[in-house]
Amino acid sequence: MMLARVADSLYWIGRYIERAEHLSRLAVVMLNAALDRNDAAARATRIALAAVGDPGMGRPGRAVDSAHNLVFDRERGDSVIASVSHARENARQVRDQITTETWERLNLLYLRFNEGAVERAFEADAPSALQDVIADLHMFMGAADATMSHGEGWRFMRAGVHSERAQLIARLLRVCFGEGAVAAVDHITLMNLLRMACALEPYLRVYTADISARYILEFLMFDQEFPRSIRFSTAQLEEHLSRLPHGQGAGRSEALRLAGRLNARLQYADVEEVSANGAGALLAAVGEECAAIHSAIHETFVAYPLEMSLPA
Amino acid sequence: MAEARPVDNENPSLSADPAYPLGEAYDEMFSRDGLTRENYRLLHRRMRSLSVEALGDRQRTLERSFLLQGITFTVYGAESATERIIPTDLFPRIIPASEWAKIESGLTQRLRALNLFLGDIYGPQRILAAGVLPRDLVLGAPSYRREMQHLFVPNGAYVNVCGSDLIRGVEGTFYVLEDNLRVPSGVSYMLANRDASRRTFPSTFREAGVRAVERYPDLLLSTLKSMAGDRRANPQVVVLTPGVYNSAYYEHAYLARLMGVPLVEGRDLVVHDNQVYMRTTTGLGRIDVIYRRVDDDFIDPLTFRRDSSLGAAGLFNAYRAGNVAICNAPGTGVADDKAVYAYVPAIIKYYLGEEAILPNVETYLCRERSQLSHVLANLDKVVVKAVGASGGYGMLVGPHASEAERASFAEALKADPTNYIAQPTIQLSTAPCLVDGQIEPRHVDLRPFILSGDTTVVTPGALTRVALKRGSLVVNSSQGGGSKDTWVLADDAAARSVADRSYPEDAA
Repeated sequence: MMLARVADSLYWIGRYIERAEHLSRLAVVMLNAALDRNDAAARATRIALAAVGDPGMGRPGRAVDSAHNLVFDRERGDSVIASVSHARENARQVRDQITTETWERLNLLYLRFNEGAVERAFEADAPSALQDVIADLHMFMGAADATMSHGEGWRFMRAGVHSERAQLIARLLRVCFGEGAVAAVDHITLMNLLRMACALEPYLRVYTADISARYILEFLMFDQEFPRSIRFSTAQLEEHLSRLPHGQGAGRSEALRLAGRLNARLQYADVEEVSANGAGALLAAVGEECAAIHSAIHETFVAYPLEMSLPA
Repeated sequence: MAEARPVDNENPSLSADPAYPLGEAYDEMFSRDGLTRENYRLLHRRMRSLSVEALGDRQRTLERSFLLQGITFTVYGAESATERIIPTDLFPRIIPASEWAKIESGLTQRLRALNLFLGDIYGPQRILAAGVLPRDLVLGAPSYRREMQHLFVPNGAYVNVCGSDLIRGVEGTFYVLEDNLRVPSGVSYMLANRDASRRTFPSTFREAGVRAVERYPDLLLSTLKSMAGDRRANPQVVVLTPGVYNSAYYEHAYLARLMGVPLVEGRDLVVHDNQVYMRTTTGLGRIDVIYRRVDDDFIDPLTFRRDSSLGAAGLFNAYRAGNVAICNAPGTGVADDKAVYAYVPAIIKYYLGEEAILPNVETYLCRERSQLSHVLANLDKVVVKAVGASGGYGMLVGPHASEAERASFAEALKADPTNYIAQPTIQLSTAPCLVDGQIEPRHVDLRPFILSGDTTVVTPGALTRVALKRGSLVVNSSQGGGSKDTWVLADDAAARSVADRSYPEDAA
């Protein structure tokens, strides 16, 4: 038994945390790429900004300004500081539902942002400041896994994580391989792309140092074991939804049906076909389907009409 | 490195020490002749063994831990919201077993009488017929709820959670200053302060033999469950909070978490067919007991304030139908009204045939012409309080007020005397506090928590509130007050046997 409002908040905590991690990592890769005096640096910045929906493609400014903006601009709804604040605000509203260990990880990070400690560390050494933020976010997720019951609340949170992750990776890949891709994909750019997906080392273990667009697409779209491939995320999403109790509302299991369909589509899609026809269509579909699943979760578990559940 | 506390029993020159001047007030740690009181010996020894730097470190660790846990309230500024912790002092306030035994029996007596009073006022009104207190004073009080008349309340327990304010006068006697019978708060600070002081002074804590407060959440839960009557074998209890913007939100979430029950807001509730439900992920879930941390006025827009969105429409009718328990019951405020307060000793006498164990502070009712003229003639000596106000607002501390402030209060008193009471200014007792790296005396009060359902239990601990400004007598957190832990000692064998009967402590 879980309050609908609480389930909604936990789901959003998962989404915000994942978003904060992804944007932090984009910023780190951008900053590291900027150390090289070549086109790859500008490309990395362009990819990162396009992947978060920032046009700025014409003349990207200094990488450090862009990174600062991604992390600290409170005006941006999706900046790292905004996501951490939203996640923490949601956690505060469901403080009774998450363990102290989990709460304190998130609250500590929030306080570090709010007191300006993260920004001071950023001024001193931006990449390592952001690596610390990522490590804090991992600790939050680790504390949640290690101390919360893996029941309904935890599953809503994990569903949020994977729903967000599938969409973020799909968007990142679209920017590089979809129609109107923003940057030529040379070797260094592909390496940076893998870094942005936190996928470089796992990729190398599978494909060795043979870095190619085809393999990257295969890995980040279809790999069954890599936790940031789209297919892995949709499989997790389906798994978590299937383990939730039946919701209310018209579609009762609409969210689960949609997740199953998306997962099956990825399962039977073929990298040959994707390479031949371009990845754009499938990646766009992933984004749309994830949005539909998101709405179905909301309608099934949170905003269901009351008439359906009143006692006769 | 400076010595934190240069005075001890071998060197009883305390009153000569400018850093810890003993004033007129009763000091919790030192007797008048500068000797350390017995109950403070262990702590005092420990305080002296630590440098002010070490004490400062401990104080900072403690504050950081409160911030990290989120034990904060929010101050809303023009641009942004800042979260602050309520200032917390690291030195516990220590109460000997014998004194506690009296406090415990006094509070139990008082709450029993007040619950009987509420049952009578919202029932046959025998006490009014007997003329013990004026009819209009009770029925005309703003906190009297006509809607509660003739409503059955299980166990006759209108007040399930009470947080009385006690103060210690110059001669060392504890007085009841206020009975907080509506939605008293602060119990989470009692528990959090305890958690902190155990870590700040671990060996002193162990040696002193301090009684445990950690059972408060499960005793609260069983108190709340006892209010469900026999409707359902395992009643569903919830905590109702106004939401995250309420200054006591931390406490609401904390209690819900430690009781393992849902923390709900008004928007989670649905009333249908006089049953109360909450919206869950699997549909509507029935609720049997609501521990509400929302004021009377806001629990049901259909019955009370129409503009409230903090409660649920129809909640009061469900309560009236006996389908849900609301704790505390609506309308309990009539018994902690500042004018009714003056009659509590008479109320105890009327229902229990006993003298009050804990005395009241002498109170002048300005509604009485003779008492009003006395108050007006002594405005520089008394504390004047508006009957309807709380939290340290609407209050005049005569000796500390300016001539102009007193004059404007005098006008207000003459214009609306029924709205005011006055009490002699009492020098609250002082306890040692760490202020700007110095150990100095500060005035304190004492808020113990009493639970009442099918039984009445006084938790052997309390929130000690501290007036952090030097010389100030106002301890409210809204007026610059702080808090500290309160250790109730178990050493006295007689006190322990009294306690064991009423308060189950872990054998382990």
